[in-house]
Amino acid sequence: MSLPYLKDAVAAGDRDTLLRYVRLHLGDGDEDVGRREIDKAWVQALVPLLDLPQVDRAFVLDTLATKDHATLAHLFFSLHFHLVRQSGEWIHDGTL
Amino acid sequence: MTARSETQLRPGLWETVNARYPGSMISNDDVVTLAPLARPVSQCRLTFVSSAGVQPRGTLPFDVVHPVGDYTFRRVPSQARPDDLEIHQLKYPTDGALRDLNVIFPITRLQELVADGVVGSLAPSFYSFIGYNMDPQLLERTLAEDIADAVVADAAEIALLAPA
Repeated sequence: MSLPYLKDAVAAGDRDTLLRYVRLHLGDGDEDVGRREIDKAWVQALVPLLDLPQVDRAFVLDTLATKDHATLAHLFFSLHFHLVRQSGEWIHDGTL
Repeated sequence: MTARSETQLRPGLWETVNARYPGSMISNDDVVTLAPLARPVSQCRLTFVSSAGVQPRGTLPFDVVHPVGDYTFRRVPSQARPDDLEIHQLKYPTDGALRDLNVIFPITRLQELVADGVVGSLAPSFYSFIGYNMDPQLLERTLAEDIADAVVADAAEIALLAPA
């Protein structure tokens, strides 16, 4: 999708188009794959926390408090790809 | 879609891609006339421009996770060896290129063509970026213009363009 198309969707409040784009991006052009990839990332995020390991909450809180919204949004996308790669089921043809 | 686009694209491609990525297919009727070569290729300085996401090891990786793309480019020394380079790109199969970078970024082959006298010389740098960019106007205004300026500054007489 071209950026103007996405910005039109934002202006129109067309959330479905934006979500479809995210799924296409994460699924390398396949929306259903994108859905599964999102699910995969959430499982990868959940499992390491089940045993209540100690985590660096100071780092997390400081990052959330001090970084701008765009950087945090980019971090969100970065974490998605990082987690799905860690899962061992890497669907993408290339490398991060 | 313009008549010219119709002739440039594989039949049905426009509809297929637009069905999958609505709004992604754009047309641009601007035409820049190809410059005629002033002398034989064997006397010309050649550069190479690629959307393969190839970059020198140790340089900042292309931003392959950004949802609307990365509009930067990397200079790749034309005398580099494939082992000096790496690929950061998610959107095309890189298996073959990881075995032999020359299948997507033929730097060794171009060096050989110079050694054989087929091409006069190589510009000091080749140029690489990633093709996953959702803003075609920004791509044209910044990335394409910046690479074009760099190619001119390198005094390249031939630019070999290769999409990934």
